[in-house]
Amino acid sequence: MSVKVAAQNTHLLEVKLKSEFTDAEGVAALALLREQGLSSLKEVRTGRLYEIAGALTANQAQQAGKDLLCDAVTQEFRMVPAGAAPMNGMNFWRVEVWLKPTVSDPVGETVMTALAEAGLPRPSSAREGHLYLLNGRALRAQIEKAFSKSLANPLIHRVVVTEAHP
Amino acid sequence: MKKPKVLILRAAGTNCELETANAFNAVGGDAEMVHISELRTGKKKLMDYAILSIPGGFSYGDDVGAGKVLANQVRHTLTDLRQFVRLGRPVIGICNGFQVLVKAGILPSSNSCDQSASFTVNDSGKFEARWTHLRINTQSSCLFFKGLPEMIELPVAHGEGKLVLKSPRHLEDLKKTKSIALQYVTEDGKLMGYPHNPNGSIFNIAGLTNPEGNVLGLMPHPERFVSLHHHPNWTRQTYRKAPVGLEMFKNAVDYAR
Amino acid sequence: MSTLAESSVDSLPISGKSAKELRAFGAQRHLSLSDTEWAAIQAHFKSLKREPSLAELETIAQTWSEHCKHKTFTSPIKYTEGRKTRSIKNLFAETIVAATESVKKPWCLSLFKDNAGVVAFGKKWALAMKVETHNHPSALEPYGGAATGVGGVVRDILGVGLGAKPVLNTDTFCFGRPDYKGALPEGAHHPTRTLRGVVAGVRDYGNRMGIPTAGGGIWFDDDYRLNPLVFCGTVGIMPQWAVKKEVRPGDLIVAVGGRTGRDGLHGATFSSANLGADAPSSAVQIGHAIQEKRVLDALLAARDKKLYGSVTDCGAGGFSSAIGELGADCGARVRLEQAPLKVSDLDSWEIWLSESQERMVLAVAPKALKALEAVFLAEGCELAVLGEFTKTGRLQVVHHERTVVDLDMKFLHKGLPRVEREASWTPVAAAKPAGGVTKKMGDAIREMVGHLNVCSREWVIRQYDHEVQGGTIVKPLQGVRHDGPGDACVIWPHAATGDMTDFSAFAVGHGLNPDYGRIDPYWMALAAVDEALRNLTCVGADPARAALLDNFCWASPEDPKQLGALIRAAEGCRDAAKGFSAPFISGKDSMFNQSKDEKGKDLAIPGTLLISAVAPVPDGRKAVTMDFKGVGNALYLIGRTNDELGGSLYFKTLGRTGGEVPKVSPAAAIDGFKALHAAMTRGHVLSAHDLSEGGLALCAVEMGFTGEFGCLLDLDEVPRDPRIYSNETLLFSESPSRILVEVDPKNESAFLRHFGKSAKSAMVRRVGQTTANPILKVTGLEGSTILEESLKELKEKWQTALPKVLG
Repeated sequence: MSVKVAAQNTHLLEVKLKSEFTDAEGVAALALLREQGLSSLKEVRTGRLYEIAGALTANQAQQAGKDLLCDAVTQEFRMVPAGAAPMNGMNFWRVEVWLKPTVSDPVGETVMTALAEAGLPRPSSAREGHLYLLNGRALRAQIEKAFSKSLANPLIHRVVVTEAHP
Repeated sequence: MKKPKVLILRAAGTNCELETANAFNAVGGDAEMVHISELRTGKKKLMDYAILSIPGGFSYGDDVGAGKVLANQVRHTLTDLRQFVRLGRPVIGICNGFQVLVKAGILPSSNSCDQSASFTVNDSGKFEARWTHLRINTQSSCLFFKGLPEMIELPVAHGEGKLVLKSPRHLEDLKKTKSIALQYVTEDGKLMGYPHNPNGSIFNIAGLTNPEGNVLGLMPHPERFVSLHHHPNWTRQTYRKAPVGLEMFKNAVDYAR
Repeated sequence: MSTLAESSVDSLPISGKSAKELRAFGAQRHLSLSDTEWAAIQAHFKSLKREPSLAELETIAQTWSEHCKHKTFTSPIKYTEGRKTRSIKNLFAETIVAATESVKKPWCLSLFKDNAGVVAFGKKWALAMKVETHNHPSALEPYGGAATGVGGVVRDILGVGLGAKPVLNTDTFCFGRPDYKGALPEGAHHPTRTLRGVVAGVRDYGNRMGIPTAGGGIWFDDDYRLNPLVFCGTVGIMPQWAVKKEVRPGDLIVAVGGRTGRDGLHGATFSSANLGADAPSSAVQIGHAIQEKRVLDALLAARDKKLYGSVTDCGAGGFSSAIGELGADCGARVRLEQAPLKVSDLDSWEIWLSESQERMVLAVAPKALKALEAVFLAEGCELAVLGEFTKTGRLQVVHHERTVVDLDMKFLHKGLPRVEREASWTPVAAAKPAGGVTKKMGDAIREMVGHLNVCSREWVIRQYDHEVQGGTIVKPLQGVRHDGPGDACVIWPHAATGDMTDFSAFAVGHGLNPDYGRIDPYWMALAAVDEALRNLTCVGADPARAALLDNFCWASPEDPKQLGALIRAAEGCRDAAKGFSAPFISGKDSMFNQSKDEKGKDLAIPGTLLISAVAPVPDGRKAVTMDFKGVGNALYLIGRTNDELGGSLYFKTLGRTGGEVPKVSPAAAIDGFKALHAAMTRGHVLSAHDLSEGGLALCAVEMGFTGEFGCLLDLDEVPRDPRIYSNETLLFSESPSRILVEVDPKNESAFLRHFGKSAKSAMVRRVGQTTANPILKVTGLEGSTILEESLKELKEKWQTALPKVLG
């Protein structure tokens, strides 16, 4: 039984550009969000999220993050603990944009193949999400609206907005 | 005369292999496109070839990072690549191939296999295709540039081509070891920002070589300038320069003979 | 058979149902079947004494959809033009096909029947071309919709004959203006977002597949704000032996490429429905370009080893239409459980109808299967045997021993009942120009170069890898600083042919101007063909070898006026093909491009026709660009200028209405194009640029600032209708078939000899010369200088207009 439980692990990995590197994607995202009325926003940093389900142990997921999903020079990664409590911090927001489950995810497919080729167990599913860390004053409803008009399309995307510490 | 065998590495998403093969063949090479799966199964062997070329494209869609997945495969599959380099055989990584060489720890050259440079999204935030003016570092002994003029032109086409280094001291190392092979410049040879430096690369670096000069990685596409008619200004009478891309491939083939 | 009728779970009772009940059922399932079509289905199953299964109804609805059967173009129409009424049996056959047959070109290798049109390219090779639209998906999800539009048309090229290698993507868009400030209905994207998303989608799919994207266009008009148009075109190259395909009974049905999922259900039927807020999310998808690249690489390797007899792509309708089409003449038996799936909980009909991307179907002789598997495996591309082609004339689908479809191919492909529609067109005499304000010529020019339909597309073009495959020898951006507006691209496909010593090349040009269509769609069609051909001619392509493609995007054909306008446009295509002696080789139509605006009112797009043309450039080294090359060269204007300012950019700039729409005389036009082509092949032409929006003035301005030389024009020398006494008309009229050409003085007499008699009949005249100072200087009819404009300033206006609104 215990084997079966282990076989259905889901890991959430977060990969971010290190702060010393210019985040051109973040700069572009900032411009788009400002265009949509988030005029008090000061900075946007971006990252990638990978939700990997299947037979990978936590150690294997860690290894996948280090060797495959994260660039050794420019990026840092962490495993996001399940049910991480939202932090306080009025002026910092964490926004995740995921493809809805009905929409196929080509990057997720690449990740599955690449993990298997790197000698790790082939996951039963892998999904990629985009992470935006916003710095600046905004209301949740404003953020949701601005994203739905720029960086996410409600028809195919799921957007999760949480307050977050930097 | 003997035709040196050129291995053009393919994988899902490489897409400049045909024109690169045509270029090598045009200067007396014997180019063969080899899928990485054929190297993995042992059906083909790297050491049977005189030259290795990793062409441009979007290997594995550049998902998780440009060239990243293929770089991992190169680390795991092409275990004899370091020996290939040590034997002095020419290696050229173009665009996505350059990204693969860097992320596989081949360039910048070091004794460890550690990756000390990488690429991020262009400062413009966009994929960009344009012709660039480039200056060859005459101090470096890169075999691909033998006999070429200092100032050349080649096109770039990439979205993730900004070369970055692990730390500032690495730039000094690169200068000291004469590893900087190519820089983006203005028409009169000055180091300037965008659009002359199309991606924001540190010190305008467009290409790197190893101290021995047999490995070259570069973002511009020499295989897109192998005929006079590739240049954007060939229809203007004022333009009559030899296609430098062809010379680069010829240098490698002549060297391997 | 019996298992089907008895299975109460699968079968759907339709016998005895009223038209209203069936309509409601159809609406709930997005089937888009008309009452007459429902009646035909009812009658068919009544004669079989059983009820249809859901999968069967879905199959029929897909096969009979507007998207697959082009009902508007192939059904009878009662057409009233003015006071005369006549009946049209089949608009497509009577216009496009009839004209193509009448011009009889032996170099046409495959017309209308396959996934793309095919023409000869030298003795060994053939060019295949197709242009598709992906309008509705791009309206809902611009990035995914445009990307899968590119993916779809690329698969058409992979699925023509035994497969061609894609060597050029060329994409044209119509959007609302990016500076649109008005209201939008719930769920509609702002035109700026649509533009950014569509460009990114086209960029990412084309760049990843390694196909150069070049030579398209963008047209802005606020009537496209709810229904953007996304035309995706691809040219492929193949050996001539691979043009023919054949399915033999006993061949295996082999699916290759991506897995089947729930994505993209109801794409075909959805494309005929009015766009609304209730669009199903499954109708849009995200493309997987690398998956398609794997298919491309594996397929062409298998083709060259002759491992299959036929191939087609899975487009709208998925397996149902791909297998249904391949097996139309023989029959097919399919076992759905063999299909590799993305998710395991798919219903039979979902597997059968899914429009998951990047899939193709092959007909494979059993003895070739093993070798085929090896080729696909080596590329990391999945392959599955789904069944076999039969001699039964039936389409039979089984899922885990249950029969889910058992249809007569004849009923499926020929059983569609045709309903006569009504159409009308009221000819209107050209209105006198009226309204608007008067502007100084210089001010008008400054405004026009910065107009969204004229200004530089560099912001878009640089995002496309337009030089991958190393064959783009005339680039979309031209001139000293590689930033001027080329007329067309020239592609030297050496990567595909493997032969760098053969400089045979080809070019692709387009024509589109819905503003002319607002006055008369007939002349819009002729002008579009003319524009596509003169663009080709300007870069050195042979206008006598041009093949045409049509793409009609229209509002509802159920509106007699809309349908009447469509007929006018189709008849324009017919007369253009005959007049220019240029065959149509492929085409497509997209209907129902209208949506409810924020007030609930129907907003229809203007009837839009995109003409694309492809022609060989016999020697790529003789190609010509549009930038002035030097000082003191002669400028010749080919073609006659008439007072044709109706629908022109100049009138739009003044806010003026009315005026004559430009009218094409194909016979005279093609003579001019051919003469110019002959001059180019002898090297007698330094630069050439076509006159389109903005007329002679903007043409000269663009050639000047791209080459960084100026010019001096004398309007009195312009070949023209002698009744013209206005400098403005000569500068801004948009009369078709005109090209401005730069000629070295030492070649002037040789150049003129190519024009023979027409040189004397004033079809071509020296109108000025190039100068060192980058200034446009014009002498008016009265003999004095009427204009002196700095080209540098104009170039800046031209370059900054689009970035200014897009950021």
